[in-house]
Amino acid sequence: MVRPIQNIVIVGGGTAGWLAAGVIAARHQGRMKTGFTVTLVESPNIGIIGVGEGTWPTMRSTLEKIGVSETAFFRECDTAFKQGASFARWTTGAANDAYYHPLMLPQGFTQLNLVPHWLRSGRGRSFCDAVCPQGQLCDDGLAPKMITTPEYQAVANYAYHLDAGKFAPFLQRHCTEKLGVRHVQADVLTVNRAENGDIASLTTRQAGDIPGDLFVDCSGFSALLLGKTLGVPFKDCSDVLFCDTALAVQVPYETPDAPMASHTISTAQKAGWIWDIGLPTRRGIGYVYSSRHSSEEAAQEELARYVGPAIKGLSVRKIPIRSGHRETFWKNNCVAVGLAAGFLEPLEASAIVLVELSAKLIAEQMPANREVMDIVAARFNDVTSYRWGRIVDFLKLHYVLTKRTDSRFWIDNVDPVSVPDRLKNLLLLWKYRSPWFFDEFDRLEEVFPAASYQYVLYGMGFRSEVDPSDSDGTDAIAARLVEENAAVTRRMRSQLPKNRDLIRKIHDFGLQPI
Amino acid sequence: MTNIVVLNSQTHRHLRVQAGASAELGDNQRFVHVAISEFPALVVHYPIFFAKDSETGAFFAGAMLGFGENLFLSADGKGQDAYRPLNLQRQPFFVAGSDLAIDLDSPRVGRGEALFQESGEPTPYLQTIVAAFRELRPGFEMTKVFIDTLLKLKLIEPITVDLGFDDGSRLKLIDLYTIDRNTLQALPDATVLDLFRRGYLHLIYLMIASLKQIPVLAQKKNRRLHESAG
Ligand SMILES: Cc1cc2nc3c(=O)[nH]c(=O)nc-3n(C[C@H](O)[C@H](O)[C@H](O)COP(=O)(O)OP(=O)(O)OC[C@H]3O[C@@H](n4cnc5c(N)ncnc54)[C@H](O)[C@@H]3O)c2cc1C
Repeated sequence: MVRPIQNIVIVGGGTAGWLAAGVIAARHQGRMKTGFTVTLVESPNIGIIGVGEGTWPTMRSTLEKIGVSETAFFRECDTAFKQGASFARWTTGAANDAYYHPLMLPQGFTQLNLVPHWLRSGRGRSFCDAVCPQGQLCDDGLAPKMITTPEYQAVANYAYHLDAGKFAPFLQRHCTEKLGVRHVQADVLTVNRAENGDIASLTTRQAGDIPGDLFVDCSGFSALLLGKTLGVPFKDCSDVLFCDTALAVQVPYETPDAPMASHTISTAQKAGWIWDIGLPTRRGIGYVYSSRHSSEEAAQEELARYVGPAIKGLSVRKIPIRSGHRETFWKNNCVAVGLAAGFLEPLEASAIVLVELSAKLIAEQMPANREVMDIVAARFNDVTSYRWGRIVDFLKLHYVLTKRTDSRFWIDNVDPVSVPDRLKNLLLLWKYRSPWFFDEFDRLEEVFPAASYQYVLYGMGFRSEVDPSDSDGTDAIAARLVEENAAVTRRMRSQLPKNRDLIRKIHDFGLQPI
Repeated sequence: MTNIVVLNSQTHRHLRVQAGASAELGDNQRFVHVAISEFPALVVHYPIFFAKDSETGAFFAGAMLGFGENLFLSADGKGQDAYRPLNLQRQPFFVAGSDLAIDLDSPRVGRGEALFQESGEPTPYLQTIVAAFRELRPGFEMTKVFIDTLLKLKLIEPITVDLGFDDGSRLKLIDLYTIDRNTLQALPDATVLDLFRRGYLHLIYLMIASLKQIPVLAQKKNRRLHESAG
């Protein structure tokens, strides 16, 4: 008998659970009339992780697709703009050592690779400044759009910083009130299996049995369904990425109108790095470090030094993190999304974007019935494994290019044993040419495209020895693109408002839908 | 500079104000904030658009009087050769709460029309100003409700106007919005009926018709160019 897949059960009500619920329910609204259901089961006793405040620009289309108002999102989630990240002290550790990984592509990126031209005649400008306005917008503390720019549209590409504790309840309201998602507050006690190994139903303490056709495991680090029940092993990545502990703290501004950065600031430390995320009402700061390379006391001290006297009286939360992911992500009728699928240090805010991409893939490829589910599952596993691998490579890239030798952490990080082969090969290739379109970045919806590699490589002082005769004939186009970038930069700097001013206006007046 | 004070029949008994349209006195505006109650009078002369307030992003309705200049000011720069929008007529007056106020620094203040009679009663001129505000104040509110309704129904869309003039110059008008006719055609019957009963359908079609004034305005501009060249 061919049974249609129409009862989707999501376990977990964190960022992953509610995003998955929203994306799936929005995509299948039309089928709701004919019996398609989305149910989210969440423990009233186990809290959500409540961190994870940096996102990717994909969040704009995700929220727009599920029908959220951007104005409401700004007002209710303490949301701010994110125009990329600056990486301080990653290369040499010196006070003036910093570069940007912005969210805008280099000028004319689809037309011409500007790297070889910049390498030959950069005239002392950073790669980022030579090809893109965003670093300078961040330097100036400017917002990426104006109050007249419609919701979700940008003048300069942007993502968000948000309050994770407010985001899940915000999505919950939208999903239950607008998208018809059923919300069940109950602890899952046992997971009941069918003969073929599929999950048949969940037995909960407060709400009895909950049957389903497809189960989405968003239960966080516990990986209740895919890990505990189906026994899919965890693939540890701590041999590549060493950080295994986070110390997180929320720091109020000195004055309510203090300037607020519109980018994530990531500052390298002795045994890891500190994130600094500006929300309208507070900063979220955290030290991600390797406990093999630092004691907790030393890490606390480094964090206190970064925050300054303001840290007195604030509570610092210790969160153990485990680098790695499940060996497969979809097994039988169960697919894991979010922390249940895996976690890598939040250096490039890759977790939530992966949640969005996974949810989208599930929603788009929703198997019609159990018979075709394994085909969809195999594809999902293929794409998702590829993505985790590429994220590991990209995060490691930030470490292998360091010239720091001031602690074991940095020395160990450049040890070839710790570098994945694919990344090693790419770095070797890129000694003689720069990454661009044809460089394996061929998958649809690459998490980190070639442009991201360019910004990090050349931001960290990597130099490709390109053959000068290789770019013959494109010098004029390159010169024009660099000129255009300078003009766009001037225009944006004169017309964009200050970051905090725009957010205040969004609270006061709202953004227009068009 | 502005120096806005509440109007008072004692202090301002002998104040005079130049009332007519005049380029030097502030009528040389290309785009004027209007209320929906003015649409029937506007549509026979001007294109009516929506635009966004640069401070708040909020939509408002505006009449286009020209491109860079007010093309309807008479040749001597005095007098508007067409319906003069209330927001121009009311100059240099404002409202402050429920009071009428005046900008004493306006170049209009000094000579011209008296505001008060010897008895302290308002003159017929001042009464027209009071009447203008009586229409404008609720008018802007009603316009806002109209716009909010259109936004909810996704009936507003951006429009770009590309113009070429006889002297070879080109002009691209951006940041303007008009009625989305495709969405309008696709509205369900009940919504159309509701728009009709609220008088909005009429306003919608006035706005659509007003777009035909764009080429007329461009012709007027061309004539100006020829006059100044010849
Ligand atoms: C220190 C740190 C910093 C981070 N920074 C970033 C960042 O900047 N950007 C980014 O993209 N990501 C970041 N992340 C990752 C991000 O926080 C997570 O990916 C995201 O919050 C998703 O979490 P989740 O929903 O999978 O899990 P959780 O938030 O842990 O939710 C788990 C849910 O499962 C439920 N549950 C568990 N067991 C049961 C049960 N038995 N019965 C019923 N329900 C159950 C819980 O009640 C809860 O609702 C960071 C993570 C950490 C640790």
